[in-house]
Amino acid sequence: MNIQLNRDQEFIDELDTKLENEGSFSSWDLFRMSYRSALATTNPDFKGLSAPKRLPHVNFLQHQLDCAQQVVEEMNGRGLLADEVGLGKTIEAGLVLKEYMIRGLVKKALILVPASLVNQWVNELSQKFYIPAISQRRRPVWDQQNIVVTSIDTAKRPPHRDIILKQEYDFVLIDEAHKLKNHKTKNYEFVRSLKKKYCLLLTATPVQNKLIDIFNLVSILKPGHLGNYEDFTDLFGKDRKNLFNDAHLKQLIQKVMVRNRREDTGIDWTKRNVETIWIDFTPEEQSAYQELSRISKESPNFSSITYTRELCSSREACYLSLRKLLSQDREISNRADYDNLMKQIEQLPHHAKAHKVIELIENTDEKFIIFTEYRASQLYLQWYLQQHGISSVPFRGGFKRGKKDWMRQLFENHAQVLIATEAGGEGINLQFCNNMINYDLPWNPMRLEQRIGRIHRFGQESDVNIYNFAIRDTMEEHVLNLLYEKIKLFERVVGNLDAILSELDINDVESEIETIFNESKTDGEVKIKLDNLSSVISFAQDNQTEEDFNGTRESS
Amino acid sequence: MGLENLHDFLTDYFTANQCDITENNNGKLSVQLTAEMDEILMNRPFYWQYVKTLGYPGEPMGITFITNPDRRDEEGEWIHFGSPRLHQIFNTLISQGKFTKIYQQIAPTQRTALVPWLVINSKISYTGKHKKDEIKSIGLQLINGAMITHIMDELDAMTLQSSIPDFCYTITPLIRPKSGYLRIIQYIESYLQNYDHSWAEESWRYLEEEQKLLEHFYKNTNEDDEYKNQMTQELVAIENRFKPQISIEVVNGGIFYLSQKSSNKLTGKN
Repeated sequence: MNIQLNRDQEFIDELDTKLENEGSFSSWDLFRMSYRSALATTNPDFKGLSAPKRLPHVNFLQHQLDCAQQVVEEMNGRGLLADEVGLGKTIEAGLVLKEYMIRGLVKKALILVPASLVNQWVNELSQKFYIPAISQRRRPVWDQQNIVVTSIDTAKRPPHRDIILKQEYDFVLIDEAHKLKNHKTKNYEFVRSLKKKYCLLLTATPVQNKLIDIFNLVSILKPGHLGNYEDFTDLFGKDRKNLFNDAHLKQLIQKVMVRNRREDTGIDWTKRNVETIWIDFTPEEQSAYQELSRISKESPNFSSITYTRELCSSREACYLSLRKLLSQDREISNRADYDNLMKQIEQLPHHAKAHKVIELIENTDEKFIIFTEYRASQLYLQWYLQQHGISSVPFRGGFKRGKKDWMRQLFENHAQVLIATEAGGEGINLQFCNNMINYDLPWNPMRLEQRIGRIHRFGQESDVNIYNFAIRDTMEEHVLNLLYEKIKLFERVVGNLDAILSELDINDVESEIETIFNESKTDGEVKIKLDNLSSVISFAQDNQTEEDFNGTRESS
Repeated sequence: MGLENLHDFLTDYFTANQCDITENNNGKLSVQLTAEMDEILMNRPFYWQYVKTLGYPGEPMGITFITNPDRRDEEGEWIHFGSPRLHQIFNTLISQGKFTKIYQQIAPTQRTALVPWLVINSKISYTGKHKKDEIKSIGLQLINGAMITHIMDELDAMTLQSSIPDFCYTITPLIRPKSGYLRIIQYIESYLQNYDHSWAEESWRYLEEEQKLLEHFYKNTNEDDEYKNQMTQELVAIENRFKPQISIEVVNGGIFYLSQKSSNKLTGKN
């Protein structure tokens, strides 16, 4: 048997020198304790996980432990973690990394995650796993022995890129790995050329459009596992469906991928109660809305749809945009109408939706998250809540990381309400709150899914209440009835929507809907078009559900 | 295992490092650190640098540990197997307890000879597709070359001290420590010769399998230098991941002077 043997060359020379020079020696107590600590940190078995024993403060779920063990024992540290959203891919990855660190197999690691999640990863690794991770900003620490978390955009930029590519990593992790599926991109090439021993790719959507996506991902982990490019396309073709139909391919994939689905985990997920709150405009508001619809149809420009949307959110949002429009030095045929409308808006009472918010929150101590699309509405709501003695904190995507963390803490410990704009939806976990008001609905179902995912995720202990506000007899009614109700977004627990949309070549639902509103002459036309759009989505959805992977754990 | 009782381990650790124990009950341990231990454990180099520059004595900190998980919400630092603090302490022990020269405590009434032993505690790591470790504690009598395993367990039952007891003198080793060490290593190597190495066979098998896959992957591109480099890099990665190796690393060791009687008992047992 050919086994390399490494002997300790230094110890005995040092001991000899000490004996000759009458150096200092440790006491029996310290000597004995040193031996005992070595015993305690020894891993006497090849198999099994030793990490959970060292992390008594974390309750790991069975599927997370199974996943980590499968990656270490069967995949030998190179795998695709493809659990559905919210099942704890980060935890699984942390367990794998911790296991290798405990066993002395990983000392230097590079963790590439979206920029907005860098802090969260660092915190999670240090708090849950006692892994002293460093977030890489300005001070370069690439060449030291450590665990660095950074974004792929930072890492691939000069001067970092060249330094990083020279490093020999024991462990490389890529979060949101579906962004690597195209092998012609710089990101793909960068990750492929990293020198790495173990490697984890994390994604909830391992196959988005094309069958070749999975080939590209697997070829980072284990080049040749799916043959070379020619074999793969010859054998399995290009049809995405083959991933589910071809037994051989499925089996091969299972050797490098773990995918848990919610229903496989045997966990009681808390319920998601979704309630649509219908709101009527006051007569004054209704007439302003109709006036706005009329005049913006007369002089259509590409923002006119925005003004009506804004009026459904707050007077302030609409007023500011209109003022901006009118301040521009350009030809507007019905400028006088706009001027009159501005005056009309100035006279409007407090917004019907804002009233409703107070009604909901006033008589309870429970925490609420309110999502709105507009900064002006956010400010207005904060002021209006304060007038009613309700404490709130704002949250925006543009906040620096430290401020985000701070606002989150204020919300958790002091304020009753957090008011977030859309951009604040990603990368913050608020599972200590279980009520959400969608003050205005985004026109992109993916973004709604992300909003809800902030609170309806693993760690949420109560049922989650989602209140969707919509004003009757406005565009909001159409969007809610025709888009959201139809694709049953609220009932499904987890979304594979992004995959569906990209398969349908709908890159941006929002602009799709905008086009529908802008280009339709009548309300009836709007309805028919929206209806068609939702039918296509829900059809693709039904298909996809049937063909999703089943029993990916069979191999283990 | 090495740590049946964490609380006692910590008490011993701080006592052995000359720190005063100020409170010790039901899984709560308060310690007044010495300046030296503060520097080692509390991670405040600037403070100590500042104090030294100014010539002040410095004020070492006190620290309270909670070892009883039921009391983990009380004031103090919850310390448990896996917590960074405990592993920091383990790390200090690596250097603090590495080399020793120790005498058995006896109280003879006349001049008594003490017999030298070389004790080597080593960690054998088997690394391939997976990894495991094994601790070997071996003692070698440096006069007649008798060797015994698990010697730490035997030494645990004796009383040992850092200075030579009254009326005792040490016999000069006939076997130099360095030769003794080589004998112990030889012993470990022969132990490894007879070891079941199916783990290494399996690692080699995986290594070769992955190499084949890789070569096939690059089959049609091997004229291109760029692809050649890629392939070489991937080959290195596969070797790093699977190539079986065994390392023998000394945890700690030293010279133990034991009474003739204890020595005979040790070798007789073997």
